[in-house]
This record gives sequence, C-alpha cells and structure tokens, in this order.
Amino acid sequence: MVHFTLNGETVQTDVDPNTPLLWVVRDYFKLKGSKFGCGAGLCGACTMHVDGAALKTCVTPIAAVANKSITTIEGLGTPEDLHPLQAAWHEHAVPQCGYCQSGQIMAAAALLDANPNPSSDEIDAAMAGNICRCGCYPRIKRAIQSVSENALAYDAMAQTEGRA
Amino acid sequence: MNTVNVSRRRFLQTSAVTGGGLVVGFAITGCSSAPAPLPVASTEGAWTPNAFLQVLPDNTIRFYTARSEMGQGVTTGLATLVGEELDVNPLDMEIRLAGAHEDYVNPDFGMQGTGGSSSIHAHYLQLRQVGANTRTLILDAAAKDLGVATSSLTTDNGYVVAGETRYPYADFIATAQSLTIEGDAPLKPASQFLYIGQETRRVDAIAKSTGTAQFGIDVDVPGMHYAVVVRAPVARARALSVNAASAKSMPGVTDIFEIGTGVAVVAESFWQAKQAAAKVDVQWESLPLEAIDTATLRRDYAAALDAGDGVEGPNEGDIEVALQSASTTHEAEYWAPLLSHSPMEPVNAVVSIQGDEADVWTGIQFPSAVPGLVSRVADIPAENVRFHQTYLGGGFGRRGTPSHIVEATEIAKTTGKPIQLVWTREDDIQQGPFRPASLMRIKAGVDSGGNLIAWDAARAGADISPDTFRSLLPALYSWMGDGMVEGVANLSEWYFEKFATDESSTEGLFEDYDHPNTRVTHMTVDHELPMTFWRAVGHSYTAFAKESMIDELAQAAGMDEVAFRLQNTQNSPRLNNVIRVAGEHMARMNPPAGHHLGFAAHHSFRTDVAEIAEVSVENGKIRVHKVTCVLDCGQAVNPDIVRAQMEGGVIYGLTAALYGGLSLEGGAIKESNFHDYPMLRMDESPEIEVIIIDSGTKPTGVGEPGLPPIAPAVANAVYKATGQRLRSLPLQVA
Repeated sequence: MVHFTLNGETVQTDVDPNTPLLWVVRDYFKLKGSKFGCGAGLCGACTMHVDGAALKTCVTPIAAVANKSITTIEGLGTPEDLHPLQAAWHEHAVPQCGYCQSGQIMAAAALLDANPNPSSDEIDAAMAGNICRCGCYPRIKRAIQSVSENALAYDAMAQTEGRA
Repeated sequence: MNTVNVSRRRFLQTSAVTGGGLVVGFAITGCSSAPAPLPVASTEGAWTPNAFLQVLPDNTIRFYTARSEMGQGVTTGLATLVGEELDVNPLDMEIRLAGAHEDYVNPDFGMQGTGGSSSIHAHYLQLRQVGANTRTLILDAAAKDLGVATSSLTTDNGYVVAGETRYPYADFIATAQSLTIEGDAPLKPASQFLYIGQETRRVDAIAKSTGTAQFGIDVDVPGMHYAVVVRAPVARARALSVNAASAKSMPGVTDIFEIGTGVAVVAESFWQAKQAAAKVDVQWESLPLEAIDTATLRRDYAAALDAGDGVEGPNEGDIEVALQSASTTHEAEYWAPLLSHSPMEPVNAVVSIQGDEADVWTGIQFPSAVPGLVSRVADIPAENVRFHQTYLGGGFGRRGTPSHIVEATEIAKTTGKPIQLVWTREDDIQQGPFRPASLMRIKAGVDSGGNLIAWDAARAGADISPDTFRSLLPALYSWMGDGMVEGVANLSEWYFEKFATDESSTEGLFEDYDHPNTRVTHMTVDHELPMTFWRAVGHSYTAFAKESMIDELAQAAGMDEVAFRLQNTQNSPRLNNVIRVAGEHMARMNPPAGHHLGFAAHHSFRTDVAEIAEVSVENGKIRVHKVTCVLDCGQAVNPDIVRAQMEGGVIYGLTAALYGGLSLEGGAIKESNFHDYPMLRMDESPEIEVIIIDSGTKPTGVGEPGLPPIAPAVANAVYKATGQRLRSLPLQVA
C-alpha cells in the first residue's frame, strides 16, 4: 500500500508499486488532465509536481512517491479559479491542440516557484523537456514572461491562495 | 479506371443551406433516405433550429462545431462565423463537438472530413447564413410576441433590443419554432463585422489550460478495459505463431488474441496491457519489404527517374526546344525522407458494443468513416453506431486514417468489453501511415532577359491517396464486400501508377512560376509502406525542391533572389504581391554578423506565403534565429489564430527540415521514440514574426500553408552562410 497526497488530499493505492504515477493518477484516480505522450520521460506531457518540483511521471514508479505531495494540473487551478499561468495561457491564446499544455503549465509553474523572474535562457532550459508538436513555444514563453514580469503580484496571489 | 473517378466524385457532393434555417445535406452514398435524427443534446425546452445551433431556455447558445478541432482553431473560427450573423459573441457560446451526421459535411468535400486547410473557406458563407437565418427567425418571433414591427427591433449579443428593453433570445424560442423564413436573410457587409477580423481569444483555451478539455484518451466508461496491439515491425506482416503464455499470466491481463493488424493484449489498465504486450513472442511472416532500407528506397526512385517512363502530368509548350534556347540552364535533384506525424496524443479510441448498438469515442478527422467501419466490423446497423467526437491531440493528417477504430471494434467485439485501444509512441513512429519519401529532379531554363522559360520537373516515390482511400472506402460504401473493397483500392493504386498522377504527389512542384514551357512527370514507386496525408501533403516536399531550384536559378542567372521571383510570378498576382512585401521587408532587415537571410515563397491551399529565415551555422550546426512570415489568406477571420497557425506551420516544418527522417532497415523503421526521432524544442525555436496582408477576399487556408516555405528558406540561408547547397532533407551541413 502506497500513501501519498494528491492535490492536497491524502490517498492510498495498492497497485503494483512499479506502476508509473501517471497511470495511477489517470486510470485509478481518474484525473485525466495529465497526459501520456511517450512513456519514456522524453516529452513532458505527463509532468506533475512532486513536493513542488516538476517531474515526468510516466517513468516514476508509484513506490517512489510514497508519502510525498503530488500536484496535478487539476490541483493547480480550475476554470473558475485560474492559476495566473492558466490565465496567461488564455490571454496569450497559447494552446492549439492543447494536449501537451498541462505538462507545459506544470513545468512553467515549477520554474516560477523556484525562480520568479527567469531570463529567456532560463525559460528555455526549464522548458526544454516539454515537446509541443503544434509549435506553441513562442506563446508559451510569452505567457511565462507575462506572469514573471508581474512577479510581485504573482507572489502575493500565491500567498493569499495558499499556492506558495 | 472510371470506377475510381466515379467513386471519388460521389463523395465530393455538396451540401446546401435552404430557407427556414434548415441545413440540408445530401447523403454521401447518393442514396436518398429519411434523414437521421440530429446528434445534438436533448435539453428540455431547447430550440434546435438546425444542426449547428441550440438555444436553451436559460439563453445559453450552444454551437455544434462540425469540423474536427485539432489545434488549428477551427472551433473558434466557425463559432465566429455563426456568431457574427446570429449576433452572439463566440466566447459566450457553449461549444459542443458534433457527432456524425450528413448535415455536418464539409461543403468542400461532401463528406464529414477536416483537412486541406479548407474549413473556414468551406463554411464561410454557409455558417454565416445559418446565423443570419436563425437571427431572423428570432426577430420575427419577437415581433409577433411583442406585437411590434420587426423593423423596430435590433439585437445585441444574444438579446433582442426593443427600445430600452432587452429580451433574451430564449424568450421567443417557443414562437420561433413555429416560423419559417422565405429564402435567405441578407448577410452583413464586412464594414459591420463585430467579430470577424477581431483578435478574440480562443473558445477552447481555458479548457485546454486546466486539463478539462476531453481528448479521446481521457474517455473512461464503466467496465472499460485497455488494449495494446503487438505489431509487426515490417508493415502488413501477419503473425505465423504467437506465444503468449507468460504474458497471459501477468497481473490484470484478461485477453490475448490475434486481430487483423497484430496481437491484441487486453488488461485492466493501460500499464498492465503495455507490460504484457512486451512479453508476447510473435513469429511474423516474411515479406518482400524486408529487403528494403533507406538507401534502396532512394536507389529505386533514382532508377525510376533515370528510366523516365512515368505518368505525364501537365505538359505545355515545347520543353526540349525551350531548354535548348535558354541562355542559362540548371538541373538538380532533391530528396525528402519518410516522416511520421507524431501528434502529441497517440491515436486511440474507445468502443463499447451493447447488443446491436455501439458507442465510439475518438478524435478523428473523418467522422463519416466511423459508423460504416464499426457497422462492418461489429456486424450491426450503421445507424445504431453513436459517434462521440473529442478534441484531437494533434492531427496533421494522421487522424484521417481510421484503422485504430477498426482495431478497437474488433477487440471490443471479441472480448464483449468496452475497450480503450491506445497506440504507444513506438507504434506511432514505427507503424505509420507515413509521409512518403520523394526524389525530385528539376531542369529549368532562363532566357537572357531573366525570364524563366522552361521547367521540367519529375518526382518519384509512393502515392499518398490510395492508402487513405483504402482505409475510408469500407466505411463509405458499406454495401461493398471486403473483396470488392480490396479490388477497388488496388484499382486506384494501379490507376495512379499507370494512367494519371495522384495530384497529392506532385502538387506544388510546378504551379507558381510563369514558365510557358512546362513538363511534369511522375513515377510511382511503391514499396508497400502505408502512406497518408501529412501537414501540407505534397507541398511539404515539393516546395523544398521548387524554391531551392528557384534560388539556384536566380544565382546562375546572376539575379537577385527576390527580383527573379517577382519577374517570374506575373501571372500569380497575389503570390507576386506577397513576394514583393516580404522582399521589401527583407531589404530592411539588418542581421548581425554571421547571420544570413534565406528567402522562399509558395502557394498552397489557396494561400500565398513568403518566409525569410535568419540562420547561422556554427560548428556545423544550423541555428534558425528568426523567421518572418508574410501571407495573404484573404479575410483573416481571427488574425491571432492565423498568426498561431503560421507559427505552428513554421515550427512543425522546422522539425522536419532540421531533424525529420525515418530510416528503414530490413523493411522496419529504426527510430522508436523522441530520443532518436527528435522534435524541435523551445530552446531551438526561433522568434517568429507574422505579417498578414489583408486583401479582404474570401478566407483561404492557414493550417498548412505556413509549412512549405520554411525548409527551402533555411536551405537558401545555409547556402549563403556556407556556400553549400543542401538538397537533401533533413538539412545537414557537410
């Protein structure tokens, strides 16, 4: 039995401990926002936060996240209560097909949590693990910058909403 | 051969809008029958004036988008068209993805398909008319209910305005249902557009930023099991023997059995199915394709070009005389490799069969194919098949081939369980269907005045259409037996090999410039690998050959690359203007030392695009710093989405230009995932500037036309940087 925290809720599962976190979250907890893209940790579509850090969960066995805190795209914000990055994604019309965007946003959120005002090169480096076949990269970068340029407001919002 | 043409024509029938807000489509089979009920939500008290709109009692305006949303922004675009004339802000509508029904045919195709960058062009007048007629019915109903003249009423974003009072459209739906209109309501002049031409946000952006947009892979139904198929490394090989003993005993595994395309492994979770699939030991039959590798492919194409006995395409003037009289002639050969589409969402489908009924959930470019295929495989009536469209996690042509629906249906039928079939990324990259490889030769002549007078172009490679035709035929003609389907599909292959060029094979190779003497030849060389449309189709490789050749010719003739193009596109005024604007822009650019500008222009899907690539080559690595894209696509219904499509086309095309290329070894694809089939990532992505020329004409395509010019624009810049003419894709500096 593996215990962990999923979007703030304590949960447990008795699946094969080798099962990747991605499939536990998708097939057993039925949260479908995190995506399967490659199954080999190469594309980033499955990115979630594990104790605040962005992690490719299609190659992370569930046993490795025992007692850790997992945040998925569903835990970051909702259509009614958008995370600032999600609002920026809408404002800059970032998504095209949209399939990779959960992973992109989770990678970006972890970046900004660690580095609220990243340079262009730092954004490139942090986002290089996430593939977008529609070619949304220029807009993803612009959206991240729009939030990071308002880093103070972002911090304040994060604190009041408990998203430190 | 006529059979082929007649068949193609039969599914190229059109639909029409008639009075009363009713949209009437013709059955794609050409057989008349009672129209099937619309696949729209049944909501108490709602008014459904046509297949596209529903007005709910709470004044929610539902829009059913008939075209597949694969990222190209078509949902926003179509909602904008209908909203413009209905007078409802597209961002205020509730968006639904339409099921399969004849009213949802693409007016350009006559079947329910999305592709060819056609949607906004095809629906531009139709959906505006739907909106205008529906608004007129609401106004007429309001006039009747309120006892005033229609002319005294106006509308404002979902409300009828009578003097100082605003009434929701929903107040009048009871009366509106009983009314009809004579003829069609007038459409707005462009000067009154509120939404068309505006930079509205996308209607799907919030769902796609919060993980709430539903893709096919996200569908989950009670009792659903997951299937993975063990596939032959060499296309179309059948299993000779299967040893599944150890896989069968793995946790969660419920069924393992052969299907038409391999061995299906069914389990309680996808992970279990994938793990078990790796343990299935299959002996595959040996096929002639096993003798083929990438070098053989190219060698066979070259041999076909050398033999020169292909099918003749357009032939004008006297090419031999013109080449002899030219003051400058030049000849070159260009190569483009096999490519995978690799959308981020691997193809998948959920099929649930209950008795003689079935439900199918998937994101697909040709919904028309679903009822017929499921009916054929599950042996149930096509009208009992309910298709539920989802968002498509990328299409790029890949989701025009419905073979995964056949597989999922076979597995659901055999197991009696609701099944989600998922292709792995390895399946995606190795199994195709692919963008065919091409070898192209162009010989051209220029006179002493700089006029292009001769253009002799040939292409060798596999055709694109027959395989796609083969996969759709059984769906569209349910009365055909399997043997007849096979026969007709083979006939189409034979037809394109012997009698007429498959237009998709040579499109873009010869149309853009003014050469009075033209010869186009096509050599079909088919090694039996599966093929289909890939973003920009034939243009994805022909533009590379054509625009590289034009650059080489300009240089050989001692002319400026832009001036040469301008002089020789007089018969294509819109392309000429795009080249002029882009050329003026390039003249003002001032790249830093070591950066070089390459130019290319191309007409595809009714749209004209020129691109300037700013490139440096350092330590043998090509780096694209900036791309400027100038286009004329007529009325830009949503200019920001037009820009996004150009950005996307450039980046998809750059991945192919810099990295794209599958290798065949022993008839099998060597690459398997993103480590050896790399994609452009953010750190390699250029800055992209898009300049839209507003010519105000009817909208033309944007999903694909941004792609073709990028490979030659980069190659032409690399030449300036290194003196090397790179004539093979992907581009690699020696």
